[in-house]
Amino acid sequence: MNAIEIKGLSKSFRGLYALDDLHMTVPQGAIYGFIGENGSGKSTTEKLICGHLVPDCGEITLFGRDYTDPGVRSRVGALIENAGCFPNSSIYQNLRMQTINLGISDYDAEIRRVLRIVRMEEHASLKFKKCSLGMKQRIGIAMALLGSPALLILDEPINGLDTDGMRMMREILVDITQTYGCTVLISSHILGELEKIATHYGIIRQGKMIMELSAEEMDSRAQVFTTLKTKDIDGACKVLSEKYADVRLENGTIRIIDEDDTAAIVDYLMKQGYVVSEIQKNKVGLEEYYIELMSKKEAE
Amino acid sequence: MTNAREIRFESPTFSRRIKGMLGVDFYRLFHTPLFYIFLAIAAIIPAMVSAMTVMPTPDGGDSALYSGVWQIIAASKSLYVIESIADYANMNMVFIFGGIMVSIFIGHDYKSGYVKQLFTTHAKKQDYMIAKTLACAFAMACMCITYLIGGTVGGLLAGYETDVNVGSLIIAILGKIIMSLGWASLYTFLNVIFRKYFGISITLSFFFGTGILIIGAAAVVESLSLPASFLNMFLYGASVNANLSSNIGALMICIVVSVAWAVFYNALGTKILSKSDVY
Repeated sequence: MNAIEIKGLSKSFRGLYALDDLHMTVPQGAIYGFIGENGSGKSTTEKLICGHLVPDCGEITLFGRDYTDPGVRSRVGALIENAGCFPNSSIYQNLRMQTINLGISDYDAEIRRVLRIVRMEEHASLKFKKCSLGMKQRIGIAMALLGSPALLILDEPINGLDTDGMRMMREILVDITQTYGCTVLISSHILGELEKIATHYGIIRQGKMIMELSAEEMDSRAQVFTTLKTKDIDGACKVLSEKYADVRLENGTIRIIDEDDTAAIVDYLMKQGYVVSEIQKNKVGLEEYYIELMSKKEAE
Repeated sequence: MTNAREIRFESPTFSRRIKGMLGVDFYRLFHTPLFYIFLAIAAIIPAMVSAMTVMPTPDGGDSALYSGVWQIIAASKSLYVIESIADYANMNMVFIFGGIMVSIFIGHDYKSGYVKQLFTTHAKKQDYMIAKTLACAFAMACMCITYLIGGTVGGLLAGYETDVNVGSLIIAILGKIIMSLGWASLYTFLNVIFRKYFGISITLSFFFGTGILIIGAAAVVESLSLPASFLNMFLYGASVNANLSSNIGALMICIVVSVAWAVFYNALGTKILSKSDVY
């Protein structure tokens, strides 16, 4: 069963389409990286799934049920734009209110549990307005985790987090999917971080889904290349161009596209009288893949 | 690779949803200063009014506006259009303070973004309207009680007479407490409709709370030669009708009018909210 299934979803604001016939499928248990430029419709999609916005048309189902079904909604947690906490109330009080709303009877244990996950246990009595941006993001995650949601929707959750915070966030997301079978829909501009955890990707542009693929598919599509350094870099580049189709000189390094047989490259250069001082196999990452894809779409 | 497992979903009943939503509102009410500040305001204002309000006399002196303690609680008769400040300054003022309190209470929901947390989960727009109306009606009813205490103490300290028809006084007090429900529903409606514009919602709440629109309604009723009691169908009219010469009929009118407007505003608010974005 899919955790999220969207068909023909459209949403306009004063006549301008933010989403236009969007189709999207998020498999259950996935960490779905939702990627797109600013204003591409990521947040609008997430808000529609959360029921914050009313769609013009289209269909949203969560775990096979209509997205407005209270049964399924009670298992959705979200962090969209901000934590949604009262500034003059303490962290504990804010979490307490959400446990009341969710009808969690053993609220104290549940609050302690989520605070432990986001490593904020010792700050429970702190007023929300006194928290730093990073702390507020963590509290937002804690709010979303209350009641063990089956679906977690996170809009740019890494924003404002330091390196340790980002690592913690990765660990949390991997843990909740593996331990609780939670599905995570996460949008982020920090593609390097997303790449480390996502099992699926959806790439959106101008309100339309242009590509959905799994991490394995992304991996198989990702271009391989070899980078190397020699003393006579221009000469080596010329020689390599005679054998390999796509050889580029970039920042004092030779890049051979679609080639990862480093032994063959070294052997060939040795025979031509060039000594390789450094050689490395590489693969195009999510960020480069995304940039290239966007450039192609721009050109179309 | 994904980690799919079987997940069970239990649909919360309407009563469970309302209980949760009301629980949140009452928790907020009792754990933030707003409610207590307005309780204090509702107590202090009548005490100050009863002790300080004076009118100039022809001989250049001053005389107090009130002669009896209970005039601070309710007018002596149904005065839909006021003749003096004394006719106006009674427990009906709670509905003005209440309007401001409801605006701030609901405004905080939207300003903080907490409303997103509510609607992400199982809460429905109808639940939100009902819970807010009931919580705010409770808050306004409490304000009526602190007003009663403040007004009585102020009046006694000012040395006013205490003679009154006890039955009518109780009916007037109960009537106004019951009217809190209708007023709370109006303010909840105004504040969710103008949720993006806090300034407008608080101004409108204040404006409606003053009951100034009754002047227009009174003019229409007069021009159509209808009985003045026709004005009792409005929130302000029914509130004014609960006074120191009221009988049980006035209390019945308060119950019917308050509940009818509460149902109307809740239904209308739910309808509009369900067709519009949360924020």
